[in-house]
Parts: sequence; C-alpha cells; structure tokens
Amino acid sequence: MTLTATRPKRRFRPALWVLTLPFVIMFALFFIAPIIYAIVDSLFSTKASGLGFGAPEKVFVFLDNYTAALSTPSFVESLGRLLLFSLIEVPLMVVTALGLALLLESARARWPRFFRVLYFVPYGVPGVIAALLWGFLYIPATSPVLQGLAAVGIDIDPLSSSGVLFAIANIALWGFAGYNMLILIAALNAIPTELYEAARIDGASEWSITWNIKLPLVRPSVILVTVFTIIGTLQLFVEPLVLRPLTTAISSDFTPNLAAYNQSFAEGNPSLAAAMAVIVAVIGFVFSFGFLRLVNRKGNRAW
Amino acid sequence: MFGLRTHRSIRLAIAGVVTVGVAASLAACSSSGGDTASTASAENPVQITFQSWVPNIDQAVDAFNASHDDVKVTLETVTAGPDGGYAKMLSAVQAGNPADVAQLGYDAIPDFLVNDALEDITDYVGDSSDLFVPWQWDTGVFNDKVYAVPQASGPLGQFYRKDIFDSLGIAYPTTWDEYYQAAKTIHASDPNKYITAFAFNQAPWLIGLSQQGGANWFSTSDDAWNVDIADASTLKVAEFWQKLIDEGLVKIEADFSSEWNADIQNGNVATWISGSWADAILRGTAPDTAGKWAVGAMPQWQAGQDVSATWAGGSASAVLKGSKHPKEAAEFALWLNSDPESVNILTNVGAGWPAIADTSQITSLQNDPDVFSFYGGQDIWDVFAASDAAVDTSWKWPPLSSTLFSSLTDNVKSAVEGGTPLTDAYTKTQDDMVAALKAKGISVN
Repeated sequence: MTLTATRPKRRFRPALWVLTLPFVIMFALFFIAPIIYAIVDSLFSTKASGLGFGAPEKVFVFLDNYTAALSTPSFVESLGRLLLFSLIEVPLMVVTALGLALLLESARARWPRFFRVLYFVPYGVPGVIAALLWGFLYIPATSPVLQGLAAVGIDIDPLSSSGVLFAIANIALWGFAGYNMLILIAALNAIPTELYEAARIDGASEWSITWNIKLPLVRPSVILVTVFTIIGTLQLFVEPLVLRPLTTAISSDFTPNLAAYNQSFAEGNPSLAAAMAVIVAVIGFVFSFGFLRLVNRKGNRAW
Repeated sequence: MFGLRTHRSIRLAIAGVVTVGVAASLAACSSSGGDTASTASAENPVQITFQSWVPNIDQAVDAFNASHDDVKVTLETVTAGPDGGYAKMLSAVQAGNPADVAQLGYDAIPDFLVNDALEDITDYVGDSSDLFVPWQWDTGVFNDKVYAVPQASGPLGQFYRKDIFDSLGIAYPTTWDEYYQAAKTIHASDPNKYITAFAFNQAPWLIGLSQQGGANWFSTSDDAWNVDIADASTLKVAEFWQKLIDEGLVKIEADFSSEWNADIQNGNVATWISGSWADAILRGTAPDTAGKWAVGAMPQWQAGQDVSATWAGGSASAVLKGSKHPKEAAEFALWLNSDPESVNILTNVGAGWPAIADTSQITSLQNDPDVFSFYGGQDIWDVFAASDAAVDTSWKWPPLSSTLFSSLTDNVKSAVEGGTPLTDAYTKTQDDMVAALKAKGISVN
C-alpha cells in the first residue's frame, strides 16, 4: 500500500457499516468476548476453607492454573497423545482425500458423481451419531464384523489401548475424507484443460500429468486441507467422549479437550478448564501457523 | 479458485475455527453474579420448578399439584446427576436463574455446599426430622443447618439369575468365598458366561463394595477432613477383585453400556450388585428374562455377618440458592418425600428405598405384582429392608465427591488397562483426593 498519494479520498460509506456491523457485533460477542472471559477466568480460582461448607471466594492466582495443568502428568500425557494422533491422522486424511479426488477426477473414472456423493455422505452424519455407530461396530458383543472375523479365527479388539487411537482415526477419516475430497476436486476442476492437452501432445503419461501438473496446482488446497485437519485433530473430543464408557483405554482426560470438559463439568473447576482450553488454543495457533510458515517459505516449492 | 493469495484466507479460517473451539468449550463456564432476592411473595399460586432425572416422577408432581391450590410445581427433566444434571444446576445457580428444587444424590450435597449453591431451609423444614430415618436426614444437615430433605436410599442387594444358579447346582453365595467358587463354576460351564461385570466406570459401585468391606473413607476431626481411601478394608476388597480379574472370572465391562445390556439380556452376566432402584432398570433392560431373576443379600466377608452398604447413599431434594420462593420450594420438597401418597408413587416408579421412618402406609412395598412376578414371585423388598437396616450409617460424603468419582474410575481403568495392581488405584485416588481438597483450600489432617 504505497499508493497513498493517488488513492481516492476516503468517503463515509453507510452501506458498508450497515452490512458489516451485525458481523462485527456477533464476532465480538461470541468469539472475542468468550476468549477474553476464558483468559481472565483462567487467572482466578475459587477457594473454600475449613471443612468446605462455607461460601467459597474467588481469588486471583495469576498463572497457577497453567502451572497446575502443565504439572498434571495425565494432562501432559494427553497432549502427547494428541500429537501422536495428529501424526497418524493428518497424513492418513490428506493422502486419502487426495487419492479419492484424483481417482474421481481421472479421465477413466466411472460414475464419478455417484461416488462423490457416496464419499461425502458420512460428513452429513453428526459426530456423536457416527461415534455411537462405530462404537457398536467396535464391540465384539454387538459387532457383526468382529463376530464374523472371530468365527474365522481373527480376534481383533479395536478398543484396546494399542488400537484405540487408530479406531478413533478411522471414525474421523470416515467422516471427513469426503469433505476434504470435495475441496480438492474443486481445485482439480479449476485447472485449465489446455495444460493437459499440451502435456499429452508432448507425450506425457497419466502418471506424469498427475505428478507434474495436477499435484503442483492443487498444492494450496492440499495445504488448506492439511491445516483444517491439524485443527480438527487438536479439537479431538466427541469420539473419545462417546467411546469412553466402552473401554478401559479411554480415561476422562484422554485428550486435552476432554480433560478441560472433565474439569469443568465433573470436577467443578472451570478456571482450570479455562487454562487448559487456552493451552490447547495456543498449541493450535503454533501448529497451524508453524505448518503454514514451513510450506510457504520462499523457495520451498518442492515439498 | 485457490489462487496464490490463499494463505491469507487460510489464516482467517484458522483464526475462526480455533476460536469456535475455544468458545464452545468455554461457553458453559460463563457466569454472572447471582444476586436474585429470595423473597417469598404472596402471589397466588406460586410457581415452582423441580429438576429431577427419576423416570415417571411426574406422577408425584401431578399428585402435589392436584392437592395444592397455592403452589404449582413444574417438572423439568434433567440428565442423571454426574452425567450433566449437576453441571446444569450449578451453572444456573451461577447465572442467577436456578430451578427451585433439585434432585441431588447424598454424595453431591457437600459438593453443592462447596459451590455455595444450596439454600438454608432450616426455618421451613427443620422440625420435620422425626419423619425420616435419622442417618438419611443427617445427610442434608451441616453445621446444624438443614440443606436437603432426604428422598430415598439405595441399599445394595445382589440381583442374580436364579435359573443359571439352579441349573449349575450352585447355592446362593452368602460369603465372598462362596461367590468366588460360584464365579469359577459359572465360567467353567461356558467361556462366555461370567458371574458379573467388573464395572470399572461406576465409582458408586466400587465405593459400595469397599464400604461393605468395612471401609470408612471420610471423617472429620478438629475442623478438618481425614481421608482414608487406601485403608486395610479397601485393599482387602481390591485384592479380592484383583483375583477374579486375574483368573478371568469377571467380565471387564461398564454397566449400563450397550454391551452390558446385551449380556444382561442373554445371561452372559449372571449377577448384578446394585441399589434397590435397580429392579426397575433390570425390568426395563431385560423384559424377556422375567421370572428368571431373584435378589439376595450382599455376600459377607465373614460367615454369619450382616453388613451392607449403599449405592452412593441415596437421593434428596434440595432448594437451590437463588430460588425466588425458598419457603414454598422447601415445603414441596418435604411433601414430595414424606407424604404417604407421594412416597408410594416414588417407591413404585423406582426412586429407591423410602427415607421416611414409618413405611407401614407404603402399599407398593407390600404388594407390587409387576415387580414380584419379574422376580419369580419373590418379595424383593424384604431383602432391601434388611439391607437398609445393615448399612454403616457413619459413612460421610466429602466435598469434591465429583473429583473422587472421576479420579477413582480413571485410576481403576488404568490399573485394569495397564495390568498394574488394583490396590495402586486406591492409593493413587487417596493422593489425588487429598491434593484436590488442599488445592481448593479445604483443611485436611
């Protein structure tokens, strides 16, 4: 913006204000205010005294809730678990969505519209319902799949401690792969067909068209999908909450969000919950922006 | 469609999505100072809201409304306490618009007091203590002030599949040794069959077993709490269940889960130790097994003893802080839990073992064809009456019982999952609980 000299003079435009004001108000009320409230609340703590039967008082404890959260081994473990989950889920999601999109957009795809809808349908199923349905499929007593496998001698327990992260990754993959696929298909559709024609005239194979034209051109969308998936995995909450009663492998602080929920609603400590939520939000920012910086560095076009 | 300038919009999207997450997880924490004046106005009729999770309790509310002109009660159904009902009540108190009367477990009353969420109703119901069983009345009394009217207790009994026991030729286990032998016989008869589900998700169940083993986890002295979760009695109970788990004689399974429901229906789980109110749950979950069940007393640690316990005490009605009509609310709570007509309804719908001292007018305890026929004609109330009389009434619930429940189930889960000793789960819970109480500023000896 160095063109200040030639820029037309600022005029008061009422329409602009009328149209943006509702958004600004709502944004301030439902996004900014709760964040400020959470940050403020995380600096306080309610203290009782004696036997605990008198009225408690609210005291300023500064960063005590943050130290408390970060010195709770199970909370730190849940952060580590989340990291592990991201390492499983993010590549799995991006590769699956990209694979589906490339398959459906290839010249030889059959009934691409039908399959596009089919893959997208799970996204329309609410997360809680999806987790419940998968929960039934993960328990030997109610799962026809596991019963069938057991009949031929294969015993798997998706909800054991070694399998539970994959079981959850599977639910998330099932729910969101189709959605991410649509984003990538839209990007693929935007590629001018002249590029393909030119490549074919030059004798390029389907594989090298995919590798040298399609992939580089959908790169921004792949980044978008990756960032969305990183954010999604950091907010992991519904699936473990629903599966928790079904297995000993999921504790009440399995993920940081679940830990915050537990503090707020089971243990009656909303201030500590606020501190935990702020920690998760900060990690979300760091990871998302870190990833963007990494992929958008100058000269980093080879990924 | 996604040009070179994409990352700017991505950043906005990130900001938005992250914010939504934070906002959603914190929305429920918001509060505004509750400063509603509690004036019992003379308007006619006074409107009262009552929050409860007991199925069909509306019948008792209807009976109240039919017999009272000056007060009208509206029932609001909430999720059972620890699963969200309490959180809803506490948030409403903080926000300054609570329901007037709330259903509270005995274990939750100290928790609500720590949150300053209950009205002192001594002036309205303080002279009614004679109507109730003394230990149940006392669960609502702190520092000589009355905060809740007891409704019903949950004395433990053992529901068992009489047909399975009979077909295997096993006598009803009166001691835990016999219980262990029965567990072996049942599992040997069919590898899919177990004597019971080890309900790792149910703190009240785990606590009830310890209490029946002679444990007394909480007491007060010198204006401070004594916490004794890992005492010898508790560890003895833990070691017993450890043996059953190690030998694969119990099914590691959360009760009330879909898997457990299936196992109760198909007889893979042959017994269930639970509160008296569980009869209604069993009848609802497994109607096809009617006539096959019976109820017996808890197995004893020493032959000839008669020691019982409760499923997290029982349930009470309390007036929430900020109620606009505390007097009428307290009077409704008293009527609901002591009027014979109401108590009859409550007993019938499965609220639990009545807290009133004189149960002679409670006809549903004497003859209830629906209940008795499900249990092969047995008068199961005899068992629970005896159990209620055998409860150690000195058991006290601490503040932060919700922390206790959540910590205990987490620790037991991780012991079962990691193969570490169950006794460690109790020592860890002891440490967790002491730390939580101290962090809250509560004195611990």
